[in-house]
Amino acid sequence: MADPTSVTPARADAVTLRGGDLPWRPVSPALARVRLITLGIVLLPLLVVTGVLAVFVTKWALLGTLALVLVGAWVAWVVGRQVSAISWVELDEEIVIRKGRLFRSLVSVPYGRLQYVDIQSGPLARAHGIASCEIHTASPESGGSLPGLPVAEAEALRTRLAARGEAQRAGL
Amino acid sequence: MLLAVLGYAASQLFDNFLSSFGFGDVVAPVDVPPDADGRGDPFQQAVAHPLLALVGLVLFVGLIALVNWVSWRFSRFRVGGGQVELRQGALFRQHRQVRLERVQAVELSRPLLARALGLARVVVQSAGGSDSTLSLSFLDLSRAEALREHLLELAGRNDEVTTDPADAVPHPVVPLRPVLAVPNGRLFVATILHGSTIALGALIAFGLIGAGVRSVGPLALAGIPALLPVAIGIAWGRVKELLTHGNFQLADAGTGVRVEEGLTDLRATTIPMHRIQALELVQPLWWRPVGWWRIRVNVAGSGGLGEGEGHRETTLLPVGTLDDALVVLALVAPGVPAAAWDRAVLGEGGDPAWRGQTPAARWLDPISWRRKGWSDVSTAVLLRSGRLTRRAVAVPHARIQSLSLRQGWLESRLGLATAHVVPAPGPVSPVVQHLEVAEAERLLAEVSARARTARRRSEPFRVPLAPDPSGLVDWTRHPPGAFEPERP
Repeated sequence: MADPTSVTPARADAVTLRGGDLPWRPVSPALARVRLITLGIVLLPLLVVTGVLAVFVTKWALLGTLALVLVGAWVAWVVGRQVSAISWVELDEEIVIRKGRLFRSLVSVPYGRLQYVDIQSGPLARAHGIASCEIHTASPESGGSLPGLPVAEAEALRTRLAARGEAQRAGL
Repeated sequence: MLLAVLGYAASQLFDNFLSSFGFGDVVAPVDVPPDADGRGDPFQQAVAHPLLALVGLVLFVGLIALVNWVSWRFSRFRVGGGQVELRQGALFRQHRQVRLERVQAVELSRPLLARALGLARVVVQSAGGSDSTLSLSFLDLSRAEALREHLLELAGRNDEVTTDPADAVPHPVVPLRPVLAVPNGRLFVATILHGSTIALGALIAFGLIGAGVRSVGPLALAGIPALLPVAIGIAWGRVKELLTHGNFQLADAGTGVRVEEGLTDLRATTIPMHRIQALELVQPLWWRPVGWWRIRVNVAGSGGLGEGEGHRETTLLPVGTLDDALVVLALVAPGVPAAAWDRAVLGEGGDPAWRGQTPAARWLDPISWRRKGWSDVSTAVLLRSGRLTRRAVAVPHARIQSLSLRQGWLESRLGLATAHVVPAPGPVSPVVQHLEVAEAERLLAEVSARARTARRRSEPFRVPLAPDPSGLVDWTRHPPGAFEPERP
């Protein structure tokens, strides 16, 4: 209500678990890169250990290497699908965040219920220019988080949310 | 005043006394090996001497008493400028203030010893966890009562204003109207009728039968030591329940409900009506033959997770008949008609007002899929579930924090989704499982529309201008002006 121009003029009842015809906005693909790098950091030492074992101790350790490679490939595939499934849309009075493919979730948080908005980014995420935006209400389970927003976008989102939250503030 | 010192000191002393035993155990273990040169540690020898130990203990207790006396002497509080302030400590000073509009509940706590001395502790709870609790221990009972009334009156002025401007005038303090009391006998039986005790009873009966059979007898006996801690744990849990909810009384305090309970530590809490975020009416399976129900609520703030002093009252009826429950519900949730509650707890499928009951959910929930559903009444959304343990939850539209839908992969296969209506945290977590996807989406749309209008109706949160009650400033014996708070 504070700034009607930047709000998607969509009816809230078009919100569906699978998206529907709302202008859902995806998060940055850099998030997938960041998550893959994290995966690599975890898997690489293990790969090295199994490789060394295979060379110096027993050939059977190669089985472990194979398993690690398979797990890594699977997780990489899942990461790609997960990241592409995260999307959000700002409606007149709510922000809706959608996540997941196998386990889908959809959270609709009214601006008037926002307590505060957190923006976080670790060193790796910062290097890729993304940040995560976490939305908190009075209930710890009802907030939503939006990982992988470009930093400028995250800041802008926070400003918008704060302004609308102030305008539509409701008592507890 | 002297009584207050004694009461405070004695209560603290008792706590410290207990911990001092723990201390004693640490410094004087029974079997200390002697030092290399054959002598024991002189300190331990000294402590080991009974007379010295006694003197030490007396000195220790005296020191604690002195410290407590000093700490009591330096505690002051005042009500004014729209806030409650408490200053404590001589050496390490602490200054805590709670703004009146943030006051969630004002509780009167009376531990056994304080009760004997005619004292009471006033606990002011505010949003923001147990750390934000302000505890005034101890005051004379009459003064504590007056202070509680006054705080509630001041805090109650910030009630959300209703649409009718005639209703918006400050609520006068209404005399308490007793609503109901739970007899201790019924509470006792209800406490025993609990899943854990029934399981234990069945286990014991089984064991006794087993002991009768010769071949299994020794085996059954061998199981006793393993069972003992479990039994003690269960018994303790039950006794605690009994201690907490004994002497339960509920009264209508105009802007809130007043709950008085506690077998030994009698506590009185007033929950402002507008702080109630969600209600739950539940009947465990074992209560069904006797027709008993329990009401629990989520109260804004720390959500019943806190314990001890910051304990938040969340049980509005520990045990009662359906009629009792409906009386309480009519008081705290006037927007939900009794008939709706009736259908919410007893109804099953085939009701036009209730949506849900998805046949496809049979695969995930063969027993109670017919019960799972939701309904929309004028001011709240009602959710029901459970065929064995019947459960009905109401969340006022104006209290919905957010809505969410979840879908696991099995649900996805069956075309189902689970809807969560999220209020402020507490023991009640409203959820309708396994709705058809389209139905869940409809719930999301309809309930968010209702929540939207309800939010608009409720007045934005404003900082109230609570009057400075000169009569209440600095209630300790220090003259007014002796304590000047820093003004920001």
